[in-house]
Amino acid sequence: MSPITLIALIVGIPAILLLVYIFVRGSTGLRRYILTRIGLTLPMVFILATLVFFVLRVLPGDPVRSALGPKGTPEMIARIRTQLGLNDPMIVQYGRFLGDMVTLHFGNSLTGGHRPIIDEMSERFPATLELVIPASILALVVGIYGGTLAAARRKRTLDYALRIYSVVIYSLPIFWLGLMLQLLFGVQLNWLPISGRIDPVIGTTIKHITNLYAVDALITGNWPAFLSVAEHLVLPTFTLGLILSGVFVRMTRINVIETLQADYISAARARGIREHVLVYGHALKNAMIPVITLIGLQVAILLAGAVLTETVFSWPGMGSYLVERISARDYTAVQSVITVFALLVALISLAVDVIYSMVDPRVRY
Amino acid sequence: MPEDILYSVRNLTVEYQTRAGAVRAVDDVSLDIRRGEILGLVGESGCGKSTLGKALMRLHTGPASITGGELWFDGRDLMKLPLNEMPDVRGAEIGMVFQDPMTSLNPIQRILDHLTETIHTHEPETSDAAARIRAEELAERLGIRRERLSEYPHQMSGGMRQRVMISLALALRTKLLIADEPTTSLDVIVEAKFLDLLQELQKEFGLTILLITHNIGVVAEVADRVAVMYAAKMAEVGDVNDVFGDSKHPYTQGLLKSVPNIRLGENELYKMEGAPPSLLHPPSGCRFHPRCPFVMDVCHTQEPAFEPVVGDHLASCLLYQKAGVKQESLNG
Amino acid sequence: MTEIKEHPPEIPAEDTSWEAEIQRVGFIRRILMARRWYGADWWFVSISAVMVVAFIVVALFPGLFAPYSPDALVGPRFLAPGQHPEIPVLIVPKDSSINTLKDMAAPEGQPRPSIAVVQGVPTAGALNEQAQSIDNQTKNEPEGLRLRPRIERFTSLEETLQAVIDGTVQAAVVQSTEFDRVSAQFPTLRAGASITGETATAGGFILGTNDIGQDVLSRLLWGTRVAIIIGFSASIVALVLGVPLGLLAGFIGGSFDRLLSLVMDSLYAFPGLILAIAITAVLGPSILNVIVAISVLYIPTYYRIVRGQTLSVKEEIYVEAAQSIGARSLEILRLYIFPNVIPSVAIIFSVNVADAILTGAGLSFLGLGLPPTIADWGIDLARGQRFIQTAWWMITFPGLAIMLIVLAFSMMGEGLTEIFNPKLRER
Repeated sequence: MSPITLIALIVGIPAILLLVYIFVRGSTGLRRYILTRIGLTLPMVFILATLVFFVLRVLPGDPVRSALGPKGTPEMIARIRTQLGLNDPMIVQYGRFLGDMVTLHFGNSLTGGHRPIIDEMSERFPATLELVIPASILALVVGIYGGTLAAARRKRTLDYALRIYSVVIYSLPIFWLGLMLQLLFGVQLNWLPISGRIDPVIGTTIKHITNLYAVDALITGNWPAFLSVAEHLVLPTFTLGLILSGVFVRMTRINVIETLQADYISAARARGIREHVLVYGHALKNAMIPVITLIGLQVAILLAGAVLTETVFSWPGMGSYLVERISARDYTAVQSVITVFALLVALISLAVDVIYSMVDPRVRY
Repeated sequence: MPEDILYSVRNLTVEYQTRAGAVRAVDDVSLDIRRGEILGLVGESGCGKSTLGKALMRLHTGPASITGGELWFDGRDLMKLPLNEMPDVRGAEIGMVFQDPMTSLNPIQRILDHLTETIHTHEPETSDAAARIRAEELAERLGIRRERLSEYPHQMSGGMRQRVMISLALALRTKLLIADEPTTSLDVIVEAKFLDLLQELQKEFGLTILLITHNIGVVAEVADRVAVMYAAKMAEVGDVNDVFGDSKHPYTQGLLKSVPNIRLGENELYKMEGAPPSLLHPPSGCRFHPRCPFVMDVCHTQEPAFEPVVGDHLASCLLYQKAGVKQESLNG
Repeated sequence: MTEIKEHPPEIPAEDTSWEAEIQRVGFIRRILMARRWYGADWWFVSISAVMVVAFIVVALFPGLFAPYSPDALVGPRFLAPGQHPEIPVLIVPKDSSINTLKDMAAPEGQPRPSIAVVQGVPTAGALNEQAQSIDNQTKNEPEGLRLRPRIERFTSLEETLQAVIDGTVQAAVVQSTEFDRVSAQFPTLRAGASITGETATAGGFILGTNDIGQDVLSRLLWGTRVAIIIGFSASIVALVLGVPLGLLAGFIGGSFDRLLSLVMDSLYAFPGLILAIAITAVLGPSILNVIVAISVLYIPTYYRIVRGQTLSVKEEIYVEAAQSIGARSLEILRLYIFPNVIPSVAIIFSVNVADAILTGAGLSFLGLGLPPTIADWGIDLARGQRFIQTAWWMITFPGLAIMLIVLAFSMMGEGLTEIFNPKLRER
């Protein structure tokens, strides 16, 4: 079973069960809300895919010719064009494009061996996941805790320090941070590796089940592989996670400050509830509600950051794949990758909205 | 401290730091609250009454702080307590009810949890089950059916929410209940029910209540004694019949005249001259002197002391204080 | 510094209040008085404002600050910051008429000149190279001069130079820095021209040189121009397109609003960089295309904020009142809604420029967007990555520059937000 299918199942089945549960147990308000959100997601993906389609068709020049290069004879070009359906009217092409995307028929790579794109993606996608998940966790923990701390100590030194931290982090170009970390830890101190997912020699010992190397190594008890993956993960995760944390610090801080000024906080204080319970219990929980929706938006930043981080660390994920394919003028692949990204963004923001509606009882009842 | 005085506030001053300097929202104010009474605290917006109420629990944060005075509550000076021990007093011995019950309740917390959290905060050994039972009993006592306890604040009506606020304030053996403008956001009928409830609580539990409001009618109805504040200072204090029937301070007199009275059938509403003064640069001498119909020369320069005029009826007005000699009021 | 502002209890203030005072003083005093009121936020905004102005000045007149042109090959490759370039120069007796290697070329048949070098130092290779190329050149000229020097190796620098004094050799070729070191001991010798034609810079290059010999500092300063141009242009275009759309959508409402908002929300949710990558890939590398691509990214930001503000202002009573006395929609937009929208737009603009610069740098780092001939920080970083093991300065300084300029603009935006946002003030 291909890794992509595996991951889709692991994520998809619980998600569907959850949705069913919400539907059955939730009030009509909640059901209506979820249906509306799902209803809005489809147009969003649709719009983005359409955008991708037309943007890539506006090319000056012929993608097939530039892909084949000087070796391409006019007959070859014509033949491939017909094969790919590039000579059909736009509408027909568009229809076919939509159909293909829905059924995940991404076709073959235009250049570099004509590999089926879906095979490439099923190697690359888990790589990106393996990078993005730990980075997000790091960013959330540092960001939310830091932001709350800053809000609790407002206008005092720690607050200003944390605000400066978040502004500085925000201004740090992520690729520069990656480079600097490579320089320090990779080149000058020589503690950590600076490229790839795993030591190439050890890499041959891994069994590819999910293509999440860390997970695969754990499952098969391949300890040296696990260590190697962990080593390779440190710098890229830290880079991506740190940059993202700056955003979270700022968001959390502002929301917690606003929440702390609410009447119910002083009412609770008047009942003798202690400060730290007020801040971390009541205020934070209330502040998290708007933050959750904002977290959904951060997916965009996460993906963009992933593209850059993967390029810096030669991490073979979807991001570096995109850049590679663009430089190689492989438009079929580019089109597919961007569509997948759009789908991802849409799904995650849907998930976030659903979670939001579960957390905020005012929406529920 | 005499047994019948529950709370003795002495020379309290509360300051706010503002852009333009320090503002005294409460300036050298002294007040006694007697056990088992309902004391009304009235005054215009911004006279300092809410600030005083909050100060009784040392609830101020940020730019506001108590800069002087003593707070003798039930035999001990709360000002001497370290600030991190105040939470033990709040909610357990002194409770507070706020003006807007909608925003005073945590929107993502169930009512029951509000109550049990308060109980657990002050009596952590209480089991969950015991806390729940206590909460339910308390709610029933105050007219809230126990099924409604698992609801969220936005699902309840205004009057119900205000009852919830009271139950929260009384969750433990509260001795003093401070009600800060509790009926301002309620309609008249609900307000009446609320005031009835207050009086019941006073009778049944021997609860002492400080009722802060700008609505004189409410005070006249339920309060035993009343205190009038003006421009961060105490103007007059006494039995409610004395203060409203035979006011000594010209401000109180003006206040009473301003209340529209259907029976007298006047054509124009009485309006006091002038406006409340800026607390940043208060008037010299007596703060009311720019608006006082009985102003004397000495009022411009000398601040009146807050002293008894007749028995337990105190006022800060130089009309009754001339070189240590008390004078009869000039106007009945 | 007095602690920060608190609104006094709701007493209508008399004219001794600070609001009245402020009306009486001039602009400059107002800024200085603001320092007292806003505390540290004032510092945030002021420091960043100074930085922003500095960057803009450099961007407008890079030639004033940069020692060299960014494309010029001014020095040896991979020179570390402050390192003096080692240039092999011709050492001759003070009275010699020889200055350059070419001077030593002689007609065919004449004895070959001898040149001394220090053993083990790679100057011999450079000397050979130069001599050969000069020889190839001169032998085809009318005079038919040849240059095929005999190279004499000596074990130490001093011996090498001594040979020139003794006359054993006509000249020596040593590193300019080496000669400078010992020149006092050889007063009869002088340094001629460099044999490779490179100019010797007295102070070295402050930030070093890159892989093909360009001055890093100059490229850094010239790169400011590109960054600022991209940042401002993209933000202005986005503003010009996004603000009116937001106003219209908020004001008109209905299906126009719904449709437009759907499109904008989709765009907004999508990773900006990736969209920019796609657009520049299609349009091709040029600075104009980069600006277009990036501005598309930010139109939704302006749109949403302006639309939100328009919606809330529209609900205000005074707008209803204006409508009831017959004010036309355009007037309402212009007089009521637009002025309320401006503070937010100003803040967004500042942050936008910062973001646009970051995105632009990211694009050129990935090799997309700008043609490689323009001096740009992103491109320099990408180049530098290949030499991370040997030339740390190639990646450190361009990245630092990006960070500082983005920092300046975002700090300004952040500080302005705190000052303008009443909700963040304490009650």
